[in-house]
Amino acid sequence: MSEQSAPEQETAAAGSVAVEDQAVGVRAEARATATGTPVPAGGTIVPRWLRWALVGSALVVALWLPNGLYPTVAVDIACWALFAVAVDLLLGYTGLMSFGHAAFWGTSAYATGLAAINWGLPFPVAVLLGALAAVVLAIPVGYLAVKRVGIYFAMVTLAFAQMVYYIANQWRSVTQGENGLQRVPRELFGLDLTDEYYFYYAALPIVAGGLFLVWRAVHSPFGRVLVAIRDNPARARALGYPVHRYKLAAFLLSAFTAGLGGGLFAIGHRFVSLDVLHWTTSGKAVIIVVLGGIGTLWGPVVGAAGVTRLEDWLSFAGFEQIGLVTGAIFVLTVLIFRRGLWGTLAHWLRRR
Amino acid sequence: MRTKALLVMLCSTALLASACGGGGPQSAAAGGGLSDGKVVFGVLNDQSGAYSQLSGKNSIKAVELAIADYQEKYGDKAVVKEFGVETADHQNKPDVANAKAAELYDRKAVDVILDVPTSSAALKVADVAKEKKKLYFNISAATTDLTGKSCNKYTFHYAYDTYMLANGTGRNTTEEGKKNWYIVYPDYAFGQDMEKSFSAAVEAAGGKIVGRDAAPFPNTSGDFSTYLLKAPTLTPKPDVLGTMQAGAELVALVKQYNEFKLRDKGVGLAVGLMFLTDIHSLTPAALAGTTYTDAWYWNYDLTNRTFADRFKTAAGVRPTFAHAANYSAALQYLEAVQAAGTDGSDAVVKQLEGKTVSDLFLRNGKIRAEDHRVVHDAYLAQVKAPAEVTEEWDYVKILRTIPAAEAFRTPSPDCKL
Repeated sequence: MSEQSAPEQETAAAGSVAVEDQAVGVRAEARATATGTPVPAGGTIVPRWLRWALVGSALVVALWLPNGLYPTVAVDIACWALFAVAVDLLLGYTGLMSFGHAAFWGTSAYATGLAAINWGLPFPVAVLLGALAAVVLAIPVGYLAVKRVGIYFAMVTLAFAQMVYYIANQWRSVTQGENGLQRVPRELFGLDLTDEYYFYYAALPIVAGGLFLVWRAVHSPFGRVLVAIRDNPARARALGYPVHRYKLAAFLLSAFTAGLGGGLFAIGHRFVSLDVLHWTTSGKAVIIVVLGGIGTLWGPVVGAAGVTRLEDWLSFAGFEQIGLVTGAIFVLTVLIFRRGLWGTLAHWLRRR
Repeated sequence: MRTKALLVMLCSTALLASACGGGGPQSAAAGGGLSDGKVVFGVLNDQSGAYSQLSGKNSIKAVELAIADYQEKYGDKAVVKEFGVETADHQNKPDVANAKAAELYDRKAVDVILDVPTSSAALKVADVAKEKKKLYFNISAATTDLTGKSCNKYTFHYAYDTYMLANGTGRNTTEEGKKNWYIVYPDYAFGQDMEKSFSAAVEAAGGKIVGRDAAPFPNTSGDFSTYLLKAPTLTPKPDVLGTMQAGAELVALVKQYNEFKLRDKGVGLAVGLMFLTDIHSLTPAALAGTTYTDAWYWNYDLTNRTFADRFKTAAGVRPTFAHAANYSAALQYLEAVQAAGTDGSDAVVKQLEGKTVSDLFLRNGKIRAEDHRVVHDAYLAQVKAPAEVTEEWDYVKILRTIPAAEAFRTPSPDCKL
């Protein structure tokens, strides 16, 4: 499809919750950007000190987390936060709804696991290799996918993700098929990280790094161009921006971040199973972003904490139909709080 | 105003994340006495899928019977006064098993995990047991890797394994003159291991594998026609189709085997692993004459029958060997705690290692110290013809007993505890 038809597609895609809901916040943001002041999605100007207070409090919460929660759950929250933020970068800031991000999360999980098992690398190095493997996969996938928008983009990414899933399922000599990669070591210069409690702190810098990377990208001129492309690709092109190349760059950055999360997930569970590549994993990431608030960055982090905590709580209570509850909450969110948890809260408080 | 609003947001985030707490790193129970003043069993198995009948929720009943027997035997002298039984459904997925096992040990104060069918999940739980230094008796998974390269100090493999099944069924069937085998197996640790063990046993007995196919696991469609149509076309034509499927998948395959009338086409059926509940679902008519290896049979003698009656009162069905083995493992664990005076893992392991036991399930049993394989007598069984069945659930006659020394392999050099 040629670029000329892109705006029509964009309009068509606006039927989906994600894109439509986005439009309001982002235009406000784009306007505010013109004046050079950082603003959140709703359009309120945030004082610098409050921004730092927010970051500081988030750090405190992050540092305290495994003391108040089962450490395994804390590790999961950190991994899913990275994954959700990666999806939000595409969905919220580039207007691309990827439904196949499990491919990057899972590829990195396998690559990380294999690197750790075969070469006994320190885990941050293995995770980095895993994330790079995800980027390598994202180059051809992204190159083809960004030529489409809206539902077509979602379908192309889903198709690639399913291909990767079946390849992993069949390539037993490497992935061990249904058995999964068992006993992934958790190596870091001879430190004993057997306990998830300590592993959480060892992994935290990587998570913080990944989140900072996306935050920096979004609040850079590059991020502004992405937002412009999302709102009006034709105009962005007319202004001389190579739209596809920008989208591809965002796609690769997103794959890298998802890869960091996937790699940590593999090390955290010391195990990689086919589930990391399953389409439900992609779906869960999208659900987290929508629940948390699209295009907010804080939202996906809060969403990851909420969903992971809820799933853990339900499963601990012996309730097995977890999908029923998260699904119902998702439907309610889409119907009533389209801005998501963070987005709605911010919007509601600002109105008062 | 706005500042206040954002601060409220911050607080709500913190609240959301904390909701209700779990606590920092857990320290292992040390020294004598009981951790938390009681012994907690964790029954981790399939409660909704293909393997939910052969052990499933009824295994909890078996553990409860063991607790009752322990209390009756020791009365006031019992070291353990309080008991708990926790349970979780691992859905036959290793990743779920991984999370649930860690949860049982860490957050539900479980001292010993029992059961765990599905070899891939079972192997993962062995890693968790090793990491947490807590006991784990595997009952219903078959892979020999549990006592091979994945063995560890805290894992015991209790009821059976692929070597036992292959050595009984594979050898016996081949020696009967069915030399050419076509093997169909589910493609995960259990099936792969079964295929290897059966191939070795058949070839050692002078047979030949003319074809082998891996079927996807879990087989969500329940369709095995590809393999069943292929079987008679192989050259040389196989004398026997060896199916390594288990539970509900076995039931589906045998039904389709009968629909395709493969027996009339000269392809016999050998079953790698079969539980009483499988015969019950299929009815004995569908399987009449099939020989297989059984680890325990409820109507073998009076002791078994008495237990089976108690079990039936509690659970409504006759016990499979997995149920009996869960009972036995729970009982032997309590005996070891009684002898050690503590539920500290290392002390209990010391009590168990090298112990010779005879109980309901373990006949001429021994808990091998070298690889933690629990060896005991096994049985070559044959499904009765429908006319011979006089009582519901009594579907099998025992052809011969395979002595403990012969039934299991010698300790593997791969195992380093």
